Amino acid sequence: MKKPQLKIALLSLSALLFAGSALAADPAFPKAPAGKVTLEVWSWVPGLDKTVAAFEKAYPNIDVKVTNLGGGPQTYTKLLTTLKAGTGAPDVAQVEYGFVPSFVDTGGLADLSTLGANNYKKYFVPWTWGQVSPDGKAVFAIPQDTGPFAMVYRDDVMKKYGIAAPKTWAEYEKAAATMYTKSGGKVKMGNFYTTFAPWFMALAWADGAQFFKRDGDSWVQTLNNPSAKKVLNYWHGMIKKGHVGTLQAFTADYWNAAGAGQVASNFEAAWGPGGYAGSMGTKSAGQWRAANIPQWTASNTVRSGNWGGSSSVVTAQSKNKEAALLFSLWLNLSESAISQNWTNGGLFPASDAGLDLAILKDKTKNPSKFFGGQDISSVYARASRGVNVNFQWAPWFPFANDNFNKQMDLMIKGRLTPNQALDAWQRETLAEAKKQGYTVR
Amino acid sequence: MKPNRGTPWMFLSPFLVLFALFYIAPVLYAGYLSLFIKKRAGFGAAQEVFGGFTNYVRAFQDTEFLTSLLNILKFGVIQIPIMMLVATALALVLDASKNRLQGFFRTAFYLPYTIPSVIAGLLWGYLYSRNLSPFNQISTELGGGRVDFLGSDIVLWSIANIVTWTWTGYNMITLYAALQNIPTDLYEAARIDGASPWQLIRDIKLPLLRPSLLLVLIFSIIGTMQIFAEPFVLRPLGYVPDNITPNTYLYLVASRDGNFSYAATLAILLAVFTFLMSAVFLRFTRRGGDL
Repeated sequence: MKKPQLKIALLSLSALLFAGSALAADPAFPKAPAGKVTLEVWSWVPGLDKTVAAFEKAYPNIDVKVTNLGGGPQTYTKLLTTLKAGTGAPDVAQVEYGFVPSFVDTGGLADLSTLGANNYKKYFVPWTWGQVSPDGKAVFAIPQDTGPFAMVYRDDVMKKYGIAAPKTWAEYEKAAATMYTKSGGKVKMGNFYTTFAPWFMALAWADGAQFFKRDGDSWVQTLNNPSAKKVLNYWHGMIKKGHVGTLQAFTADYWNAAGAGQVASNFEAAWGPGGYAGSMGTKSAGQWRAANIPQWTASNTVRSGNWGGSSSVVTAQSKNKEAALLFSLWLNLSESAISQNWTNGGLFPASDAGLDLAILKDKTKNPSKFFGGQDISSVYARASRGVNVNFQWAPWFPFANDNFNKQMDLMIKGRLTPNQALDAWQRETLAEAKKQGYTVR
Repeated sequence: MKPNRGTPWMFLSPFLVLFALFYIAPVLYAGYLSLFIKKRAGFGAAQEVFGGFTNYVRAFQDTEFLTSLLNILKFGVIQIPIMMLVATALALVLDASKNRLQGFFRTAFYLPYTIPSVIAGLLWGYLYSRNLSPFNQISTELGGGRVDFLGSDIVLWSIANIVTWTWTGYNMITLYAALQNIPTDLYEAARIDGASPWQLIRDIKLPLLRPSLLLVLIFSIIGTMQIFAEPFVLRPLGYVPDNITPNTYLYLVASRDGNFSYAATLAILLAVFTFLMSAVFLRFTRRGGDL
């Protein structure tokens, strides 16, 4: 799927100019339905209203109306309400992978396999298809962007304390202790996000953890699986000693500490570096680097997990499902849209060919620029191809997502051991799932 | 001309229609919803089947929900009296001071109320942050420790502080307006009788303020039961329990877990609970048709 580099450079200069013409990287999209069609799209990708101009040019009979809902929980509330009401839903909406099953269960999403969506499976990074097609037959969404995990670290801080980027978790733990001693506790090697279950799950995912699994007509939930216990005990040990911090993600407190060199490294998804550049501005600019996440056993294969990322769903209410599917495929596979979404919103593509686009590696622009001109997208592309494909979410994940915060709070306060916290997470979430009518054990 | 018996109804009809549409109907619908439970067979959408009072039984055994009621009771018992005291004191001071600054203070105290609660939450979120909070910075300068205002044990009181900051001025304006309505000849008569300023407050102003005080109290009780925005804007900044207030809990039950029928049940119980609280309170304070 490689293309001549020169052509890519030319194209990325002006993606719009070529938009609509079938690019070498673009697969053959399904035929557009005849007649005038209006598609309503809900999303939180910045600048999507402009991105779709190229689509409208290529398909003049399809008019795309984009509503930017800004993300956040209200976005889902709105979508859930319209699906439940049976009216007012958009044709296409953006939904994170972890939340797809809960929308599937409303019965409000169209099964795209009946429209031939499975023909496009081969164009996506393997693990992403498992996220939208859990049973390998029905397809409930088209993968859009991903959040494979890599380690980001402060090159200057690490050098100052003479610490090399750790390749294994054992090395990481040692580095954390060294950092603590040498800096007199002022600098933490890392940070554990206690209110982001998917962050923790990504670390366990990299170790092959399974939290939810379909089993015939029922579900199996193992939030307290061995990998999760291993990962949490490992971190809890470092938290107790004060070797890693527990600052809240995306808060002023965190950005401040990271910018001031009090956080030497962290584990962030592919969409994270853009946020680092945007939130820290000039502070620590150019000092960050990205590397593969440490492995439990030293090896050359990188196993990684994923945090976040989203997909495009087509609602059952849509009167133009073919057009909606066509748009979803175009949005997530066409070079024009992938480039725009990367530039405007830092969306790291789920498209396999998209991972190799030159625009992702542009050293003169953020996030690469903020990372000292390093080609961090290649680090993330490698991580994405190393994400375990067998990872499923459950419809009641939203509850698990919040309940995790409760258990972590108790753990940090010392009222629960890591194992007890995970057991409580399992127990309380299981009870809730049963109350929602699921057959689950 | 004999008055037509239908006339009052005719005049009342716009109100009655709107009242039925936007008040009675939703309540009835919530009551209807609350009788259903989810049943699933395999994958796909759940069926809503009739469950009688299953949801009500569940609610009374739901420790998360009961805790949220307890939280809001604790909150009300502590926050409402403090706010009432401060608002009354401020209103009396404003009423007594007859200088040019009166208008300025009136506006200044009222200002927090004009700030939308979401913005206020963001503002306080910054003031409460562990490392950047000016309070914590001052406290560390003075050699004290940091307070984790957003820690799960304290966050309820941090929210109480935001609520107090927002509503004190508003309530003060209500009481101040009531004070303005007291005829000044009462004061003159009292002064001629040799009453001190304290006696004026104790024997004239406060008794005459009573209806307004009760009104403010009732609204505060109802408002407390409905607290939602403040905890919600603080959620992204740290761990704020799902059930910190009944309203946050039932919002999450509906919008996050999709249990609309159970959320309807909780809403009805919360309404009944609020009604009981107000009724009990009125019983205790009523003295011959004040309200």
